[in-house]
Amino acid sequence: MLFAVDFFLRRLVQGLVIVVLVAMLIFTLLRVVPGDPVRIMLGPMVTAEMAEETAQKMGLRDPVPVQFIRYAAQVISGDFGHSFVRSAQGGSTGGSRGGDTFDASNRAPVMGLILTALPYSLLLAGLALGISLVISLPIGIVAGLFSGRWPDRLALYLSSLFVSLPNIWLALVLIFLVSVKGGLLPAIGYQNWTYAILPALVLAIELSPVFIRSASVAVSSNMMESYVPSGIIRGLSRPRMIVAHVLRNSMIPLLNVVGIQAIGLLLGSLFVIEYAFNYPGVGLLMINAVFQRDFPVIQAIAILACTVLVLVNILVDFAATTIDRRLQY
Amino acid sequence: MSEAHPILRVRDLTVELQSAASRRKVLDSVSLDLHADEVLGIIGESGSGKTVLSRAMVNWVSRPLEMTSGQIFYHGEDLRQMPVRQLQVLRGRKISYIGADPTSALDPTLPIGHQIVEKLKSVEPGISEADARKRVIETLQAVRIPSAAERFNEFPFQFSGGMMQRVMIVDALVTSPDLLVADNITQPLDVTVAAQILRLLRDLQAEYRTAILFVSSLLGVVNDIADKVLVLANGRVVERQSMQGILQSPEHEYTRHLVRDMPRIWEAQSEVPAVRARVNSNHGREAILSVRDVSRTYATKDRSRLFGKQYVQAVRGVSFDVYKGDSLGIVGESGCGKSSLSRLLSRLEEPDSGKILFKGQDVGGLRGTALLNLRRGFQLLLQDPYNSIPSHLTIGRTVAEPLIIHGGRSKAEIREKVAETMAEVGLGPELAHSLPVGLSAGQRQRVNIARAMVLEPELLILDETLSALDQVEQAKLLGLFEKLQVRHGMTYIYISHDLGMVRRVCSRVAVMYLGRVVELAGNGTTFFNPGHPYTRALLSAVPAIEHRPYDAATYLLEGEPPNPINIPPGCSFRTRCPFAFGRCAKDEPTLLARGSGDLAACHLAEGGMPAPGMSPAGLHDLNPVPALRSGTGA
Repeated sequence: MLFAVDFFLRRLVQGLVIVVLVAMLIFTLLRVVPGDPVRIMLGPMVTAEMAEETAQKMGLRDPVPVQFIRYAAQVISGDFGHSFVRSAQGGSTGGSRGGDTFDASNRAPVMGLILTALPYSLLLAGLALGISLVISLPIGIVAGLFSGRWPDRLALYLSSLFVSLPNIWLALVLIFLVSVKGGLLPAIGYQNWTYAILPALVLAIELSPVFIRSASVAVSSNMMESYVPSGIIRGLSRPRMIVAHVLRNSMIPLLNVVGIQAIGLLLGSLFVIEYAFNYPGVGLLMINAVFQRDFPVIQAIAILACTVLVLVNILVDFAATTIDRRLQY
Repeated sequence: MSEAHPILRVRDLTVELQSAASRRKVLDSVSLDLHADEVLGIIGESGSGKTVLSRAMVNWVSRPLEMTSGQIFYHGEDLRQMPVRQLQVLRGRKISYIGADPTSALDPTLPIGHQIVEKLKSVEPGISEADARKRVIETLQAVRIPSAAERFNEFPFQFSGGMMQRVMIVDALVTSPDLLVADNITQPLDVTVAAQILRLLRDLQAEYRTAILFVSSLLGVVNDIADKVLVLANGRVVERQSMQGILQSPEHEYTRHLVRDMPRIWEAQSEVPAVRARVNSNHGREAILSVRDVSRTYATKDRSRLFGKQYVQAVRGVSFDVYKGDSLGIVGESGCGKSSLSRLLSRLEEPDSGKILFKGQDVGGLRGTALLNLRRGFQLLLQDPYNSIPSHLTIGRTVAEPLIIHGGRSKAEIREKVAETMAEVGLGPELAHSLPVGLSAGQRQRVNIARAMVLEPELLILDETLSALDQVEQAKLLGLFEKLQVRHGMTYIYISHDLGMVRRVCSRVAVMYLGRVVELAGNGTTFFNPGHPYTRALLSAVPAIEHRPYDAATYLLEGEPPNPINIPPGCSFRTRCPFAFGRCAKDEPTLLARGSGDLAACHLAEGGMPAPGMSPAGLHDLNPVPALRSGTGA
């Protein structure tokens, strides 16, 4: 119990430092890359004076550290700011529609945008994770048990195949074959949960090689531990050793992979896949925000993604310490 | 044998090692009988097939090994013909096996008690959880594991090697088997712990009336437990006799060698290489290394308090001098601080307090080039010959490395020096261009020695350098060290748990317990008239085939050293000392002279302990050194 308190206190503090550093990095980078958000907000037709005036008013001409501190104070109070571009009613403001459509007081709160998009992304990510575990765990475990024999090789070929399929290409091929030609599943946009199946399949295929590989490595290395033959000599049956000991202990590296690699990969691929399927999740929100230089949205999503990654990591590490107590020392 | 049928009858068992090209017999027509309530010792050096034989008894022979002929009858039934199901039930229930590595025999992630219960329920279906649990805890108490009910729920990594071996004995005996195969079970343990395990196994054997097949490579260990012995050499049984018979009248040539080469501590023989007799002539000699009241404490996490730290006192106020051309031995159980001390001596770490002077210069404060230059003078050799050599560099390059680091030599000079050093340590010149792959442990250790010697150091610190090697290799390398000492006037510090070796090569011995030197004395005093009960306990535990002046009944320690985090006040040894009395709890004894430069930290050093029980052979040999050969130095 004391260990848990100590663990979480320590790790949460470390995690906070990481999140703050990432936030600073993102914030600074956004402001040093070319592209003036005011130009995009107000469109090409406004005068330089007016653009400058708007920028001054929004505080965009202050030094970056000053802007960051202002932003950080806002975030701590729970306010991630308002979108530069989107109006509270939805749809974009400003831009090519001309300066007068830009209404600084009627912009959408970033948190609201994210909360609307988040459930769609969670559904997609959960489905993808589920499908890929269902595909890869049996393959990986069998490969690990028959290390060096045909199931192992088959698993290797399969993972090589999966890993070399570019996700965007696979998405287009599946849309064409399954949706357009076959008419089996819907593909573009979102109306009900079946719209998540195809993109989830693409993500699952991308995730599977990592799972297959780590499951087979974990199982085969555990099978080589001397407690396995010694357990059989002690009077336990081989199936019992595999189920009660080898698979249990193989969970630890697998958990780490799920926590670190898979979530990271998923976060990255969501942007691409949601864009390809025009799926209304956080990824699509992010991609559009990048195209529109919508700084508050980009920042908020980056910070949230980083927080999720850090928290998942902490939870995964904690789970690992309850499986293998040695990790508590 | 006309008595009742043997429990185990092996007939003409042959095991072959099969590779693509050839077949080699690892066991060749081995036959043996083991009766109820009997302990049969099997002795042989590494590679003689004894582990294969013991594993064959539980049908644990897997590729590339294969049993090609012969029978293993257990109560008249051939294990080799038995269906797997039946064998599975027999194994673990009636036939138990304990291996050499207790720390990796159980799943590291589950509490030990649960795993033994799991086994019990698997081989005795129908036993209730509560009964199984009760029986396991009772057996844990029977092997004298303190607070068994709590330790039931602890994990393998929370047990020391010796305690873990007890756990494995529980695992083996919990089903009351009638046959126990013990394969080298004392090998990884400290001598005191190994002696405890042997004593325990003897007691349990008497109680449970289990027949034991006891396999070991050490004659002294087998001597302590077996009734009869079978000698295995190159997969063949070369001799079978009673234990007495083996020691008194070995018949086969191999056995005679074995008995003769067994290192003696007290019955030293003339052929044992000499230790130079300089024990009492330290006065006025130059100290090459002076250790002055050195301490080292490590901080670890305290799990009982939030963000708490606790302090492991690894080395506590150690002082001694090492004289030029001398050999000092540092001995003690694992965890006594000898390896921490070696890290301090070799300046891998700095002491928290105290000073280490090498040739009068304080090693502590030095940095950068000054330290590098000083390092030339002393080199550290470690135990593991495999991980201490880079596998991707040629041997010549590995040996040249220190010269390149220290600089100041041309390529040709380096090449010449490397060739010279390699020749000196007994590495052929052709090895300079090959990779270390395929080298034996002994050859690898020679590479390490060459790499250290190439800088022409004056002091070598040998931290268990020879303990990974077999008896023959060990003897060769000791010979090499002796040669180097004669030729270059080298000084050695042997850090070792092998008292036999220390007796052979060290003129002075420091005995460490819980981070302190408790006795520092000449070779003769250490082995024949030690002033500290801990030294006597160590001596009583040495596996030996000779008469021991300190018998285990009086001196052998129970349990293990206390945790170095909570060192008891007063004399730190008193919790295990058979002679502890009131004063020991209050005053911590300091190292005091007992005459002739020998020091001991015990209130009873000047008398109060029983006199050593000398054998006739030992009595006339009060000579401080086993045998005298014209020494060097001094």
